[in-house]
Amino acid sequence: MKRNGRVGSRLFIGLTFLFLYAPILLLIVFSFNAGDSGAVWKGFSLHWYGRLFRNRLIMESVYTTLLVSLLATVIATAAGTFAAIGLYSLGRRKREALLTVNSIPMMNADIVTGVSLCLFFVAFFQGWGVFAKWFNAQELALMGHALRLPDRLVLGFGTLLLAHVAFNIPYVILNVAPKLRQMDRNLMDAAQDLGCTWMQAFWRVMLPEIKPGIVSGALIAFTMSIDDFIISYFTAGSASSTLAMTIYGMTKKRVTPEINAVSTLLFLSVLALLVLSNLKEARQEARHRRGAASAPSALERARQKFSGPRFRWVRRGAAAALVCAFAASVSFLSYATGSRPVVNVCSMGEYIDESLITQFEEATGIRVNYQTAESNEALYSLLKSGGADYDVVVASDYMVGRFIAEDMLDKLDYSRIPNFSLVDGRFRNLAFDPANEYTVPYTWGTLGIIYNTAMVDEEITSWGALYDGRYAGNVLLINNSRDALGEALLYLGYSVNTTDEQEIRQACAVIEDANRRGVFQGRVSDEVYQKMEGGNAAIATYYAGDFVTMQSNNEDLSFVIPEEGSNWFVDAMCMLKDAPHREEAHRWINFIASTEANLANMHYIGYASPNREALEQYPDYYLEQEGEELDPEIYDIMVTPPEVLERCQAYQNLPPATLSLYNSLWIQLGLS
Amino acid sequence: MRNKLSWFAVPYVVWMAVMVVIPILIMVVYAFTAGEPGAGEFEVTAENFTGMSVYSSVFLRSFRLALIATLVCLLIGYPAAYWMAHEGPGFQRVAMALIMLPMWMNFLLRTYSWMSILENNGLLNQLFRSVGLVDLYNQIACRLAADPALYEPTAYIPMIGSSGAVVLGMVYNYLPFMILPIYSVIVKLDRSLLEAARDLGADSRRVFRRVILPLSLPGVLSGVTMVFVPSVSTFAISRLLGGGTQMMLGDLIEQQFLGGAYDPHLGAAISMVMMVIVVVCMVVMNRFGEGEGEAVML
Repeated sequence: MKRNGRVGSRLFIGLTFLFLYAPILLLIVFSFNAGDSGAVWKGFSLHWYGRLFRNRLIMESVYTTLLVSLLATVIATAAGTFAAIGLYSLGRRKREALLTVNSIPMMNADIVTGVSLCLFFVAFFQGWGVFAKWFNAQELALMGHALRLPDRLVLGFGTLLLAHVAFNIPYVILNVAPKLRQMDRNLMDAAQDLGCTWMQAFWRVMLPEIKPGIVSGALIAFTMSIDDFIISYFTAGSASSTLAMTIYGMTKKRVTPEINAVSTLLFLSVLALLVLSNLKEARQEARHRRGAASAPSALERARQKFSGPRFRWVRRGAAAALVCAFAASVSFLSYATGSRPVVNVCSMGEYIDESLITQFEEATGIRVNYQTAESNEALYSLLKSGGADYDVVVASDYMVGRFIAEDMLDKLDYSRIPNFSLVDGRFRNLAFDPANEYTVPYTWGTLGIIYNTAMVDEEITSWGALYDGRYAGNVLLINNSRDALGEALLYLGYSVNTTDEQEIRQACAVIEDANRRGVFQGRVSDEVYQKMEGGNAAIATYYAGDFVTMQSNNEDLSFVIPEEGSNWFVDAMCMLKDAPHREEAHRWINFIASTEANLANMHYIGYASPNREALEQYPDYYLEQEGEELDPEIYDIMVTPPEVLERCQAYQNLPPATLSLYNSLWIQLGLS
Repeated sequence: MRNKLSWFAVPYVVWMAVMVVIPILIMVVYAFTAGEPGAGEFEVTAENFTGMSVYSSVFLRSFRLALIATLVCLLIGYPAAYWMAHEGPGFQRVAMALIMLPMWMNFLLRTYSWMSILENNGLLNQLFRSVGLVDLYNQIACRLAADPALYEPTAYIPMIGSSGAVVLGMVYNYLPFMILPIYSVIVKLDRSLLEAARDLGADSRRVFRRVILPLSLPGVLSGVTMVFVPSVSTFAISRLLGGGTQMMLGDLIEQQFLGGAYDPHLGAAISMVMMVIVVVCMVVMNRFGEGEGEAVML
């Protein structure tokens, strides 16, 4: 009877562990997959591990994660221990009040902590900017050196670290506090009565007594730091990104098995650490049981020898050396990353041949921080929230128009961008930048319907297919308000730039109705890749360039610009107002505008280039790279022919009232 | 002596004021104002709150999904913790280590691995297809459909993008937060109490109901809050496993700050409402169980 119960309970525990570990095991198994899918096994291979170590983005974020977690743990443990001791020497009422405040970050949802810290940092930076400008205007000097303060602070590694320390300290206090409560308060007095100095009593009596609490506090702090995503997401800004943020960015497009590889390595190293520490504990316990009779091992003997009083200075020296080495490596790293010239680029969408970045870095010695935003609107939010210090941004026409209208850009110096002369006349002086003072076109293309011919029997010619109940559960709605509502407006025969509230509301009703009938499987941006390539959805709308990439991975996909017409867009590079690295920014823009870069980009991302030479040379370039002729149909999809382009309209920047209507309609759509 | 040590508290009090209290105050200020940031013009308004009724469905969905996830966690976590506490010390140590271990990998990695499992052509659907479960599903769905003639058989069982997938993601990620506090309370229970109850004639069911359950309540309460609070505010899980169709409070807030709809004032207002609701819930719960913060892990 008793035995049966035990088998049942063990089975339950076993199943719980299976639930917890099955996904992790799958993650590990597929890190050895020869193919790039997370679901289809194509044979054993180690090449993702090789790729991982060459992937700068992932490796840097692993490094950032470990560094921030370690530093935050060390700082929070020290600060939290002292704070706990201090709190426990206060009167009861004061202590309780302070402990309540202390528990706020633990009780609050992470997102509230993240948001409040983000707002705080941004507000502080604004205040600091005003102060620094005033201070610099005083032109103070100290011993011949002019004192100047940096007048622009941004979110980055520093704020990330501060945030991590802030949410770690409460956990340390929570773990140290019970040990302090258990400690006999007379111990300290007794030690001092027996001749200890105050310091000695603290180090010799109090610390050993509360050590278990400190250790478990540090452990929890480290765990929380490693596991955190939300708070980092709101406080890290543009320049640094933790592993979690990198993965989050990648899940929007296509997660490569490099992520599986990095998780496997992380998991195995943590497992090894745990096994080691458990073995040590088990051995200690066994020794306790055996008593001190058995001879200590060689390691143990050495440890005992070094823990004797004679080696006190050796120990202290070693500790000091460790601290110095740590500090030196940190400062060296910050020096190494800080002293090189930098250009910070942010593009909407994931949207460049990354080898271009390396080429540029090697040719100029300028380091490129390349970041992406999910959409034009997300890029706008990122810029407005003040957390970013980009120099160059890439955005679509209508958003660039908005940047110009809101005075967020600086004019470019075209004498430093000789490659601008290669830009085809069709892409100059466009409506969003009529005198062409702010922008250099980056790519252009069209929006259209992508569908899987294996799942759709007919030939699609109208936007109506998106709202067709026959494809219920298999249509992907594009996750940005401008395109999604634009499609519905075109379907109804209105202009994509209409400001008529009635027309926009009608368009919204079309989507809402389809949504109610369960037509949409989801709202996607770059996730569309894995959904369409994997045959997980039948119909989606996306851009011609992305279709070319998708089609090379799934032959069944087809692209159409519906007969109601569509949107044609130009994405352009521009420089933000007060960009700190102007010289580097111009050199980057000029480099990207070159014919070679345009060809490489066109080949990599599939979007058409605005560069005259690149457009002509592309079929030859393709032949050279791939060893086969470019399908003219594909070329026509990439470089939309003029007669099709006639049916298409460009987006214009809408007046604020219409924009806020778009916003509120879009959010409400997400609710139903 | 005592007074000397209390000086240690001063830096921390300053730190708390700067890093905890002031940020929340700034958030409150944002919540009650409107206007373009950077332009320096703020007007005081309660509009952010009055206009929030539009989002009531998001609030409802968030709380519903988080409650379900918490309940499921409790139903799995309590028995697991209870039985674990009754195993030998070696088993317990290994089990604890194994529960902590996944937390050392970032939770996004774990959520991501569920994506490839739950996809329409993912591992689970491949498995279902090979054992004929998809056919069975089609037959049942065809029988249930209003017009069986129009029913088109699917090649997969839809899982990703549903609220069930989101709940699964929450349960998977936050289950350790439920097991750990319950376990640490049960393992510390005074065995003599149980013996006394048995000596006084209680059968094992009664011992559990009248002694163990009430005594483990603090652990349950702290487990419930540690699962509920992150579940109700998540945005990564709902984005990854809900496919953007299961908008939750976290998504709504994120949209206002770094997403498509830029309005930090509204975002701050929603955050504030969420904070207030969570605090109220916790105060009410602590009234019930006098739960102490003691039970938080390890």
